[in-house]
Amino acid sequence: MIEATTDEILDYLADVIERAERFGATVLPPNDAETVAWERDGDDLFMDLAVHPPVGRRARLVEIVLRERWRAVGSDRWELAEYGYELRHHELAYRRALHRHDVDYFVRTYGVATHEHCEATMGNPVCGHYLANPPCRGALDGFDRLYGVWLTGTKTDCSQLRCLG
Amino acid sequence: MDRLYYTPREVAEILRISDDAVLDLIHRDELPALRVSPRIIRIPVAGFNAWREGRKPRRRRVVIRAASNRIAIGEGESLPEGAQALRR
Repeated sequence: MIEATTDEILDYLADVIERAERFGATVLPPNDAETVAWERDGDDLFMDLAVHPPVGRRARLVEIVLRERWRAVGSDRWELAEYGYELRHHELAYRRALHRHDVDYFVRTYGVATHEHCEATMGNPVCGHYLANPPCRGALDGFDRLYGVWLTGTKTDCSQLRCLG
Repeated sequence: MDRLYYTPREVAEILRISDDAVLDLIHRDELPALRVSPRIIRIPVAGFNAWREGRKPRRRRVVIRAASNRIAIGEGESLPEGAQALRR
């Protein structure tokens, strides 16, 4: 389980944005704002970023979405409870997603907390959920994996993944 | 289609330095690079150009504020009705 203090989690969001921008990508929000925020809802903190790779006029055709929910687990301690990192490559009609959500359901049904989505043709999944191998270590890891898919243009062969159901 | 990445060897040729010097820049996290597999490193062209021109992303100030809308991770995914009862 990934845990962090409040200071660490503030730095972490700045790290994610900085990494994406170092690669020439545009991050929304903040685009060019001085300040960016974790969104607090009750005892949860949410990250919600969209990253567009630097491909000029076609930038809107590719999007990497980074979402996380961290829950409070004590005084000044947070735990990464859910994540959803997605590449939506409209030019290739390809979708790849790395997910951890509805953990109780997935553990009870499939014996794993995380799963993936892979759509060789976006919107036409052959399998509902694939085994995540290995699970993501956070948004930096998720971003790197999905940015690498876009950068190299090498779509993961969905049929090589293990279908959970 | 425009080039999206360079290999470390290509960067070495552009900068007229050795392959090892490029890898050293990467390992010191000076040159933006992505390890796309255990043995393959790629340098995004846009990131390389920015680095070469001395442009660096501005470090953002991060705060915590009240949520303005509800963010649901995995929204739109079809799960059995029973799964909804287990949510959060």
